[in-house]
Amino acid sequence: MKKEMVCVSCPIGCRLTVAADGDGAISVQGNKCQKGAEYAEAELLNPRRTVTATCTLKSDIHPRLPVRTAEPCPKEMIGEILSRIYGLTLIPPVKAGDVLFEHRGVRVLATRTLEG
Amino acid sequence: MRELNYDAAILGGGAAGMAAALKLRDRGFSVALIDREDELGGILLQCIHGGFGLHEFGEELTGPEYAERFIRRVEASGISVFLRTTVTELLVEEGNKELVCYSDMNGAMRLQAKAVVLAMGCRERNRGNIRIPGTRPAGIYTAGLAQRLVNIEGYLPGREVVIVGSGDIGLIMARRMAWSGCKVHGVIEILPYPSGLTRNIVQCLNDFSIPLYLHHVVSRIYGERRVEGIDVMPITEGAPDPEARFSLPCDTVLLSVGLVPENELTKTAGIEMNPLTGGPMVNCMLMTSAPGVFAAGNVLQVHDLVDNVTEEAARAGRFAASYLSGERPGRQYRVKPGANVRFVNPVMIDGGKGGRLVLRSMIVRNNAEITVTLNKKTVKRIRKNHIQPSEMIILDLKEMDLNATGPESASDPAEARAFPMGGDGVLEIAII
Repeated sequence: MKKEMVCVSCPIGCRLTVAADGDGAISVQGNKCQKGAEYAEAELLNPRRTVTATCTLKSDIHPRLPVRTAEPCPKEMIGEILSRIYGLTLIPPVKAGDVLFEHRGVRVLATRTLEG
Repeated sequence: MRELNYDAAILGGGAAGMAAALKLRDRGFSVALIDREDELGGILLQCIHGGFGLHEFGEELTGPEYAERFIRRVEASGISVFLRTTVTELLVEEGNKELVCYSDMNGAMRLQAKAVVLAMGCRERNRGNIRIPGTRPAGIYTAGLAQRLVNIEGYLPGREVVIVGSGDIGLIMARRMAWSGCKVHGVIEILPYPSGLTRNIVQCLNDFSIPLYLHHVVSRIYGERRVEGIDVMPITEGAPDPEARFSLPCDTVLLSVGLVPENELTKTAGIEMNPLTGGPMVNCMLMTSAPGVFAAGNVLQVHDLVDNVTEEAARAGRFAASYLSGERPGRQYRVKPGANVRFVNPVMIDGGKGGRLVLRSMIVRNNAEITVTLNKKTVKRIRKNHIQPSEMIILDLKEMDLNATGPESASDPAEARAFPMGGDGVLEIAII
């Protein structure tokens, strides 16, 4: 498979062309440094993103609680994680860092401390 | 009316206000921290996405997490926090500064302080400012207002979205709306290149296959009671091309067309403004033309990273503390933007100690060189791999950089005197 992408490791934003041949060897073109090569390989084989969203909080003052995945999760999993976040209703108090749930190895945390 | 007295008063309890307040409190001064909202944290509370704190804490945090680090410290510090309090007037004289404030809890107050830090942040440019023709239906919001509605209040502003402007706020909201089940039909950008970070183009647009129309303008918004669509034209040979006009149906338009430092109080106080930054003119101590009134954060100039806001505001807090202890700057050079530089802040640099300058480029360039000249003699050259207007450049100039040419080098006294803040020479920063 072959893919065009823009590296986000630094502000230059090198345009990369990444290819994986039959043996699984990755070739990267267009990068000015090693970070670009690493980014390209990760993006091709195992693209991950940190998901941030809000879920419902039973509170008159703060109707929404901001949350995020503890680490970047596989791109294909984003839809499922969002569905589970939007299905939550939490009751305060909540502390930033509280683990709200774990889904296929990905933890979702509260990012704000709210008493009420 | 209540009369209050503090060593220092901070206007604004967001990232900048909290950092400045903490520094002043560290030095043992009494501090009043004033904010119009129900809680401290400013705009960070609605920025639920990541990318904050990489420089300040060495971690990637979301906005609320970054804010909370400072809120905890403010709460433990003995800073007097005034929430739901609006400052309606700032009165400045040599010795004392006075703030006229109103709050539900305390009613009307006159707050006297010997030092003031302006940290009011900025507001968003709106449709009226950029004058998009067409009807005025419901469904047109600035991107930051939409962000507040979605992330704090829990409302979706619409379902079929178009975003005007490729600044970071618009890009972040493109992703937010897409992740909230809406359809984002496109981002329209007037410049031939994006205004926001490449990382956001990739993670907020490319990931969702949202089209980015560079070098295009919105020529009309239409719809009776609710937005029904927009007309878009490409810019050909410097002007919108009506022949190539096309429509994008939508029910919501989000505007991300620039931020304006919030300086109404600054202007009515008679403080000298810098037309290049939208903020007050400040000297090497980040002090405005009003003695003892300092400025930091987005009210001084629009920043890209909150980490830089924190660093700048902490410096302003330290300078305000030094001012309260009687320190005054010595020899200063006026700092002037040269070729390809939109602005440099502050506009004065300490001739003896050097200091930090922030600047914005007008151009996109790889392998650029920043040249620093003092009284027209080059004193420093800095090579940069990549520069673009949306990424603020930080320069730390040391004392030895500024003394390279010796005090005998020619300076133009007339030019220095013509400048409102004076100066003993002219330091010019240019990009080639």
